[in-house]
Amino acid sequence: MKETRPAEQRAEETMKKSCGGQAILLAVLLLFAVSCSKSPGVYRKTKPLMDTLVTITVVASSDKEADAAIEKAFSVIERFGDKIDFFKETSELAAINRNAGVSPVKVSPETLGVIERAIYISGISDGAFDATIGPEIKMWDFYKKIRPSDDAIRHNLSLVNYRNIIVNRDKSTVFLRKKGMLMDLGGIAKGYAADLALANLRQSGIGAGIVAAAGDIRAFGLKPDGTPWNVGIKNPRQKSDADDLMATARLSNKAVSTSGDYERYFIEDGRRYHHILDPKTGYPAGQCRSVTVISDDGIFADGFTTAVFVLGPEKGMKLVRDSGVDAVIVDKDGTIHTTLGIKKMVTFEDGH
Amino acid sequence: MKTVIRNTTIADKLLFLILITASVAGIFFSREAMPQGPDIVITVDGKPLYTLPRDKDRLVSIPGPFGDTVVEIKDGKVRVKEAHCPNRLCEKQGWISRGAIVCLPNHIVITVGGKAGDLPRGIDAVTG
Repeated sequence: MKETRPAEQRAEETMKKSCGGQAILLAVLLLFAVSCSKSPGVYRKTKPLMDTLVTITVVASSDKEADAAIEKAFSVIERFGDKIDFFKETSELAAINRNAGVSPVKVSPETLGVIERAIYISGISDGAFDATIGPEIKMWDFYKKIRPSDDAIRHNLSLVNYRNIIVNRDKSTVFLRKKGMLMDLGGIAKGYAADLALANLRQSGIGAGIVAAAGDIRAFGLKPDGTPWNVGIKNPRQKSDADDLMATARLSNKAVSTSGDYERYFIEDGRRYHHILDPKTGYPAGQCRSVTVISDDGIFADGFTTAVFVLGPEKGMKLVRDSGVDAVIVDKDGTIHTTLGIKKMVTFEDGH
Repeated sequence: MKTVIRNTTIADKLLFLILITASVAGIFFSREAMPQGPDIVITVDGKPLYTLPRDKDRLVSIPGPFGDTVVEIKDGKVRVKEAHCPNRLCEKQGWISRGAIVCLPNHIVITVGGKAGDLPRGIDAVTG
């Protein structure tokens, strides 16, 4: 809008002369200037990637600039997603899993990066988050309501242990020590994808925006009006369209992720079986309905939600406080637990 | 205030008229650009292929690299009834009455009510 100001001033001067023709001409020029001015706007684009919908929002001065930056960031996510796709035979992750108990597999820096961070989160959460949960999770089918037998769950538990992921940084290799081990990076990869995409947007000269890999979000900079971005937090027990959101977080230069028992689940004999399994038991973790974590990096927000969900409100709160991140925990009874930092960032809807 | 009004010329009034018309037109244009209604939209390779009313039950077959994907609309809900891709995550998602189903291997996105990535008022993204 800056460019329009001198035009307005000129318009005023001309009007003093009461010269109608020139004023109309200027009025038209003014409109033209407004429509062509490079005032920053918000642009948004959605693409199916990593088995979900990824939406990238940017503040840019033109549609063209926004589109170029967003498409580049999408391709970064796509390339990373292909490397760690659990189901794609040609992915680096599939190669690691195929060679479990056989040999180390050379991987790209991104894959090595996400696995190293997965091991770190497993370590500080005492295994509440564990990327080697694959042999357990693959036995469940939450759509067909297939629950594995207790024996099968117990049997596969011996294959779940992040300590058996051997990373060699110098050689850039990853090795799963036991045959039959399966690594699934689903609980952490989308947060990391958001981190990678954001770094790429910055390289393209974008100073503000949001990368949302489904519910794994990184917001940076401010909106054109100078305010932070508004990120809605889903209500884990939504009854109607009206109570879809339980709260809104105002975020700038933060990452936020949520894990909930309402994403993939079935109910049998009044009990809810969902996709967040406790790596120590092989059964769905039962102490929370949803966990939202706000952190500086997407990968930690994403990884911590699972860890805290499994640990439950007491131990989970201790972990987030010790780690310097913020969290909103809705426990199994619907009670909300928050860290102190949440008060400044999150406004809850009535009734929450 | 009175002097301001007295000092306005016809040209000024025309200017205001143009500005007001432009801003009002903006409201209508943006409404036009965002059609309302709870239609089901099936997008293939980024192009909206079908826009179907959700109140009419039907089966739709969509050819793709992994064979036909069968989409079923029933009682206002939609699901992927049959998929032949390696992971079949879309099929596992079951019935939805809002939001989206994504079948990445077949490049299919099914959305209910609005386009993919639609957000509530004043919200820039949603987590959960």
